[in-house]
Amino acid sequence: MRKSGFSQFLIFMLPALILLSTFVIYPSIKTTLQSFVDENGKITFKNYKDVLTSRDTIDLSGFSRGFPLGTLLHNAIWIAIHLPLTVSLGLILAVLLRKVRGGNILKSIIFLGMVMPMIIGGVMVRFMFDGNLGVINAFLGLFGFESKTWTAYPETSLFSLIFGSVWLWTGFSLVLYSAGLETIPRDFYEAAAMDGAGPFKIFFKITIPLLKPITVVVVTMTLLWELKIFDIVYVATMGGPGGASNVLALQMYTYAFRELNTGKAAVVAVLLTTLTITASYPLIKGSSDAR
Amino acid sequence: MRRLVLMVTLIILIGVFLFSKTLTVIGPWSGAEMDKFTPVLEKFEKEYGIDVEYRIYRAEDLANILPAQFAAKKTLGDVIFMWPWFVLNQAKKGHVIDVSDVIDESKYLPGVLDNVKMNGKLYGAAYTGKVKPGFWYRKSFFEKHGLSVPKTWNEFIILLEKIKGIPGIKAPIASGDGVGWPLSDVTEHFIITFGGPNIHRDLIAGNIKWQSFTVRNAFEKLTSLLKKGYFGEPTEWTLVLKQWWNGDYGLYFMGSWITGMVDDPNDLGVFSLPGNKGIVFGADYAFIPKYTKYPEEAKTLLKYLCGLEGQTEQVKQGGHVATVKNVPLIAYPPVDREVAKLLEGVEALFDLDDSIGGAFQTTFWDQLKLLWVRPERIDDVLRTFDEKMK
Amino acid sequence: MKNRMILVYIITWLVGLLWLIPFLGVFMTAIRPLDELLNGWWSLKPFNIGFKNFLSAWNHPTAALAQGILNSLKVVIPSTILPLVIATMAGYYLSRYRFPGKRILFVIIIITITLPQQMIAVPVYSMLSKMGLIDSYLGLILLHTAWGIPWITFFMRNFFATLPAEIEEAARIDGASDFAVFFKIVFPLTLPAIGSASVLQFNWVWSDFFLALITIYSPDKLLATQRIPLMRGIYHVDWGLLSAAAIMVMIIPILVFFLLQKYYVKGMIGWAMK
Repeated sequence: MRKSGFSQFLIFMLPALILLSTFVIYPSIKTTLQSFVDENGKITFKNYKDVLTSRDTIDLSGFSRGFPLGTLLHNAIWIAIHLPLTVSLGLILAVLLRKVRGGNILKSIIFLGMVMPMIIGGVMVRFMFDGNLGVINAFLGLFGFESKTWTAYPETSLFSLIFGSVWLWTGFSLVLYSAGLETIPRDFYEAAAMDGAGPFKIFFKITIPLLKPITVVVVTMTLLWELKIFDIVYVATMGGPGGASNVLALQMYTYAFRELNTGKAAVVAVLLTTLTITASYPLIKGSSDAR
Repeated sequence: MRRLVLMVTLIILIGVFLFSKTLTVIGPWSGAEMDKFTPVLEKFEKEYGIDVEYRIYRAEDLANILPAQFAAKKTLGDVIFMWPWFVLNQAKKGHVIDVSDVIDESKYLPGVLDNVKMNGKLYGAAYTGKVKPGFWYRKSFFEKHGLSVPKTWNEFIILLEKIKGIPGIKAPIASGDGVGWPLSDVTEHFIITFGGPNIHRDLIAGNIKWQSFTVRNAFEKLTSLLKKGYFGEPTEWTLVLKQWWNGDYGLYFMGSWITGMVDDPNDLGVFSLPGNKGIVFGADYAFIPKYTKYPEEAKTLLKYLCGLEGQTEQVKQGGHVATVKNVPLIAYPPVDREVAKLLEGVEALFDLDDSIGGAFQTTFWDQLKLLWVRPERIDDVLRTFDEKMK
Repeated sequence: MKNRMILVYIITWLVGLLWLIPFLGVFMTAIRPLDELLNGWWSLKPFNIGFKNFLSAWNHPTAALAQGILNSLKVVIPSTILPLVIATMAGYYLSRYRFPGKRILFVIIIITITLPQQMIAVPVYSMLSKMGLIDSYLGLILLHTAWGIPWITFFMRNFFATLPAEIEEAARIDGASDFAVFFKIVFPLTLPAIGSASVLQFNWVWSDFFLALITIYSPDKLLATQRIPLMRGIYHVDWGLLSAAAIMVMIIPILVFFLLQKYYVKGMIGWAMK
């Protein structure tokens, strides 16, 4: 590590810093400040009060009458279902596919969900749950269930999107865990097998603990994805019906670009950012220790 | 000698270039709808010798772009078609040209220019509109099953019951889905029929609450049908149109543009809800931004388009109804004549969500999608409407 | 033991099938006429194949995909090259040099990676508006470049940490300037990492919807991803057309994925580990 002179800074670092400051850092600061300014230009906490108490954000009456529950709770539910499912599915599949011939092909198929633009992902999810053309209905039809478009009903629209997004995102944890499994030396497994440990014991006592660093990354990235979800909801339900599948990012967009209320939009953006920074804390901490 | 010829040619070319103005018209119509609009523009070009260019922008996008453009004293077009509430909104900020000198209010249907009028001056003009007259049916379908047009509410219910019993029918009335206007159109029809045209106007002006007794009552009529399963599940509106045409549904509430979308317009019949005294007339409005380079020519174009000449030409293409008086009935294609006749004796009303606009419109559409599948949530829905009316 | 393996095979192939079915559905809807599909694409009678939907989507009068894909390329290519160049240099700098405030800068970069795009949306819109860059690709390219810089810097810095500095030291002893060392010696060694980062950035920008949504409005300028939601509801479209359009828009990143899979996967892993 060498000490940097000014000219090195100028050539290597400055262009990046200029672009970053102009288009990312400065706007972020501006948005934060904007959240404290109301429609008349006065400095106030009114925007925070309006948004945080609004039924758009949290709607507790939803527990008795049904969805919507508010964007904050919708994102929370998304995390509660999607995170454990995709992480564990990805891990289990990674372990299984290692031993199967043609496992790589399957890995690629499952990973395709990650490769496609999420706007298309949203179209695919909407399509899956369609009353006339969707696979889900075909499948349920085998058991005698009636067809309906699951995304059109308040009780099921959010869940449809969530399960659809599991189909889309599992590939991420699968690929990462697959790579991680490669790094575990065979000797570990051989030694354990010699000690008489069965496959389940090996899985829980050796594999999972050794994969901890990967798990941290998978969980963090997945959390971030769930918090920032936008494209899928926009194209599949636009947050509906009646806001039953609305999410924070879409709420921000609606406030800013449809209602033209930049103060409230800024509050949602700040709220969302607070959540993403909190979720990434392990990553941030880990990196700040690095040199 | 050659140099002289060259210079003269150059001067002539420059002159032609300087004097050949092109007006830009901005509208939301594309595809088949655009094909019906271009003949009107072409006729103008021929008669007045001014070039006109048409560009397509969706109204929601214009609502985002135009304010920024106007603030920078620029404009995307010389004559722009937009929602009336937006026109007035921009007129208040001084961005719109006063066109009272070229538009004569007395030549139009009464009240149709009200929502582009401010302080007695006109800031926009009404173009043709599409009517949302009522429930469409196939005459052949009715004949085949011995059905007839209902004259009272009870007859309407009986008709729905009869259609429900026909084998192969998914639901008596098809529900269109999309951005949201198909459901809002039929909802407005119920509000007008059971609340009356005045209530409809009061709702637009914000003079009455959505949760008030009269409004709620009108909604109950709608939800009573929803609860009995007379409406189908909201399906993409052009897809459900095909299904309705094929006999999966009996009735479809739609606007008059449906006449241009079916194979056999002569098989079409339409009726309003019995007792209905007002029909929503979705007129298109156009305005001229202050920052146009050719204000005089733009005014000429606006006068032509929204006047007798332009509207007659448009109406000939089918699917449109004129807002200006004295357009001969013969100018209308046969099916549209039926629709134009339906307008006689009833009041022409503005489209509610287009008039209120803003946050309310998107919420209105979204809440109706909820109401359609969960009609028991009526109170919650009406409460949300009131909240978003601010 | 054998039975267990058979079970594993059954489960994995079942899972594979499950994952494939939605793609099958979209494909069927795209190649068959809508009337056949009104009661489910799995009904196999009648079965007529046609590519009309693809042609219609490609040449759609108002949301033509041909134009959309071309527009997307116009944005994606500069938005991949530019940040790669700038951020590789920044990543190199962070991995090789000490300077005051380094740790803070590092933390700032990490934090910007986690930001949602909604945090910059409104100020960036008014900024670009004032510069006259709304509805222009230059504006969008600048945004994507700035947005890509944090993660690519982080990624490249991790890569450089694995590159031994001895060769650079040796060159410096021989009298080469810092810049010569970077461009002539280090850069060629960085190519695999650049390959991975490029593939990921390409995919990311191609798939972007939000930034395009708030900056590009003219119908002819719309990017491929923007045309997809337009096909629902406003224009005269059916599921067949939408499916064909969806396939065409996702085929590009999928192709890139299959051809450059090695780089793709290495990229994701390199991003995750360390």
